[in-house]
Amino acid sequence: MLMMPRMRALVAAATLATLAGGSALAQDAVTIKMWTLDNTGYPEFIAQAAEEFKKTHPNVTIEHQTFPGDPYKTGLQVALVGSDGPDVFFNWSGDDAKRLAKDGLALDLTSYADAPGAFGTTVGSGYLDAFRYDGKLYGVPADAVSKFVFYNTAYFAEHKLEVPKTLAELGTLCKSIRAIDPNTVPMPLGNKTRWKAIHWMTMLNERELGVAGTAPDYDLSRPADALYTDAGYAKAFQDLLDLQDAGCFEEAPNATDYTVADTMFSSQASPMEFCGSWCISGFETAGFTDVGFFRLPVVDGGRGDAGANFLVPEGFQVSAKTAHPQEAVDWLSFLVSDDQAAKFVEYTKFMPSNATKIDTVEGVSPLFKALAADVATFTQGVNVLDVLLDAAVSEAYLNATVEVLNRTMTPDQAVEAIRKVALEVQAKAAS
Amino acid sequence: MNGRTRLVAIGMHLILTVWTIFVVAPIGLMLISAFKSQAEIFTKPLSLPGSLNLSAFQRAWNIGIGSFMLNSLLVTVLSVAVIITTSGLAAYVLARSEAKVMKWLYILIIASFAIPVQSVLVPLYQMVSGGHMLNSQLGIVLPYAAFGIPFTTVLFYAFFLEFPRELEEAARLDGCSRLQIFFRIVVPLSGPVVASAAIFQAVFNWNEFLLALMMLTEKSVRTLPVGIYGLTTQYSSDWPAIMAALTIATLPLLILFILAQRHFVRSLAGLGK
Amino acid sequence: MSHSSSRMLDRWMSAGMLAPALLLVGVLVLIPSVLAVVGSFYEFGITSQNWVFVGLGNYARAMADPIFWTALKNNIFLIIGSIITQVGLGTLFAALLDRGVRRGNTFYRTMIFMPVIISSIAVAFVWILIFDPNVGPLNAVIKGVGLTPPRLGWLGDPNISLYMLLVIAAWQNVGFQMVLVLAGLQAIPKELYEAAALDGAKGWRAFVHITLPGIRNVLMVGTLICIIGGLKVFDLVFVTTGGGPANATQVIGSYTYLQAFTLGNMGYADALSVILLVVALGFGWLQLTLSRRG
Repeated sequence: MLMMPRMRALVAAATLATLAGGSALAQDAVTIKMWTLDNTGYPEFIAQAAEEFKKTHPNVTIEHQTFPGDPYKTGLQVALVGSDGPDVFFNWSGDDAKRLAKDGLALDLTSYADAPGAFGTTVGSGYLDAFRYDGKLYGVPADAVSKFVFYNTAYFAEHKLEVPKTLAELGTLCKSIRAIDPNTVPMPLGNKTRWKAIHWMTMLNERELGVAGTAPDYDLSRPADALYTDAGYAKAFQDLLDLQDAGCFEEAPNATDYTVADTMFSSQASPMEFCGSWCISGFETAGFTDVGFFRLPVVDGGRGDAGANFLVPEGFQVSAKTAHPQEAVDWLSFLVSDDQAAKFVEYTKFMPSNATKIDTVEGVSPLFKALAADVATFTQGVNVLDVLLDAAVSEAYLNATVEVLNRTMTPDQAVEAIRKVALEVQAKAAS
Repeated sequence: MNGRTRLVAIGMHLILTVWTIFVVAPIGLMLISAFKSQAEIFTKPLSLPGSLNLSAFQRAWNIGIGSFMLNSLLVTVLSVAVIITTSGLAAYVLARSEAKVMKWLYILIIASFAIPVQSVLVPLYQMVSGGHMLNSQLGIVLPYAAFGIPFTTVLFYAFFLEFPRELEEAARLDGCSRLQIFFRIVVPLSGPVVASAAIFQAVFNWNEFLLALMMLTEKSVRTLPVGIYGLTTQYSSDWPAIMAALTIATLPLLILFILAQRHFVRSLAGLGK
Repeated sequence: MSHSSSRMLDRWMSAGMLAPALLLVGVLVLIPSVLAVVGSFYEFGITSQNWVFVGLGNYARAMADPIFWTALKNNIFLIIGSIITQVGLGTLFAALLDRGVRRGNTFYRTMIFMPVIISSIAVAFVWILIFDPNVGPLNAVIKGVGLTPPRLGWLGDPNISLYMLLVIAAWQNVGFQMVLVLAGLQAIPKELYEAAALDGAKGWRAFVHITLPGIRNVLMVGTLICIIGGLKVFDLVFVTTGGGPANATQVIGSYTYLQAFTLGNMGYADALSVILLVVALGFGWLQLTLSRRG
């Protein structure tokens, strides 16, 4: 049985080699193949870093390839199993990265981390923990994305609106905005691709149960009879429905593309949006500068912590199959060194894992700096459900959230559906 | 009586006109939206653009629509050439042989026509990946060819069965080999069926999405459908540019079609025979 | 002597002429199919190195999986719906163009055929904009005349979105069916109609007794194209509804993709593929027997 994947690869390689005439280039110098998403600024950042890196490592050439988001995960997984995979690659921290570690495809970097100048010495331990599984390090965190409620400061000033302190106040705020003009959507959701609402649930679960309250359910370590039985989960869904009833969201949020939601805010048709830190560049492109932000407010009577907020560290992993582990780690450590981290911000406008020199970066808006400063004050990072959870549970959560918003499921039914899948996965893992 | 025929004629024109408007409206919306600003698209969905703004086209072009088109062209031309050549040769042999094994081979070809590409996506992807042909034009041309061959072979087979054998017999008596007969006698008289098959496969491969999505991830090799799909990744929500890109991608083909529509339609109609 | 040696040569040459096509199809279509069948008896993830043999377990799982049945039902819905809309409207328009209208034939034909050559991804994007519940022109028109658009959106309510997929598919494909039928109609000898007219058969009766039998084969081809297209459908669903809400518009193609690449259940995805393959082969067999009879 162990032979099967290898046999597949063999058949594949042999048959294709005959078709293509088989070509293998012998190279003396070291080539590090790197795969990332094709985010704005990434190719330029990597290109300049590779140039710079050559000064200290003249024999190393970086071969950078970029991918759009959706096919990336698939392509990466297949490539890592096959023989043509990258040496180093971008990944989100969470279930995917963990699975690669578990399946022996990602290299254990623990022994490299603390060498002089290596990434373990420049990146904070909070970030490093995101890629730590069973006490071993499996990734180099490069940045994190966070999420805030952005609002139109000019609109708020004109109508004398206040930033809400609780979730109930946010609902009231939506009603006030609808009272000004019933056609104004206070905060478009745009859940057609399902991840916008799961980001809401990520934070609402935290606001109701707290990070400690959710953790044993998320990692399926809670005993089966208690798994996902906390009343807070249903309450969190009800919170979302209360906001919908308060008129916060647009019509048919599950049929609205997130790009439409983003545009409704950045074209100033809507005064608020719960959006990622990556949304800032969109505001700037649209020439929209009157933007303020606040964290998703706490819930009255909830067990959440106002200091905790949405934070998804992402970074790079090294393939277990790489022929040049030392060079690969050197390269990644170089990318998160003080100077390069500053360059990273300059090119990509992402929140870096190493913020030592963030104040020296030019061309970064005050909004970005304010956001980065706020991220630094988080007491806890809240990782997002669809990245953190087991893939099957995550799929169930995504669908349940859609059905709750469509009112085709009640909050209790939704939690029950999620619990059912979670129990199946838990039972399977135990067997 | 005359009045009634007239009424019927008007009715028929009405049906065709309604469908024509239905067909043209989305294409018109695409064109108009490309000239609007983002805010105009979303706040005034039914209005014309406020000004004739070409900037969206420029942004779309800068995303690389030009290179996506070139890639599509290359992949389409290569794969269609491979499909036509290999299918033509194979179909001719299959149609002219009496051997039992040939009948079985023909059935095998028909069976492969029924195999959907999703059914073999994973093994196929692993093979292409294992053969180091991800992100290469050859890597996608070969699967395109393999999936186009069965249908084309069946089409050619039917054509060759009806092809007058007297001509071939005469050439055979003159000492021509099977290959010579094929190229000197059969090919010159097969123009229409080749055109039908080529156009059908070209349209199909030009628009193919799933395999290209999996295999052409590097921006420099992406074909149009994947390139267009990539326009709405995480960070770009520039609808005017998307519509401009769709316009740039669609218009050349549409113009080509309108100019050559007589041949185009006649060729495709040959598929049904 | 020379006769038999030239036959040998012929045989080798035939083999050589067959080889490229058979090699490509064999390596890139048939071998992967066999690998999919083998994989369907195992449980394995896309990155896991050990395969667990489960026998027919994946097939049993499909039989008990409500989403599989929803997907299959949706495929069948789309097949039947597209036969009715595409072959039906295609035949209607072809008939009108062939013997109905005298002016503007080329114009109508060109316009109605046009969407066939547009990429289905491009098509999907334009329709996404048209159907958008908040900023789309369709809702603007509907609200403009005082009606209420669907609460969950045109593509968000499973009871509506499947029909919308049919609308988009018809928009794109009716022209193709029309051209097929038109060619069939034009191949019917005009004398038949003249003879029938002498016997008093005109209009509708001529259509039933002469036209329909004359285009029987063409309609069969058109129907088969709809069936194959309905079985293979992926792009349209993937881009417009993504199979949602909550798997209600999933088709076998998109569900296989979800199981394989989102959930990492490769063995189960292989089993779904094999089921689709068997259904498709069934229709292939049907085509073979029908075309032989013709």
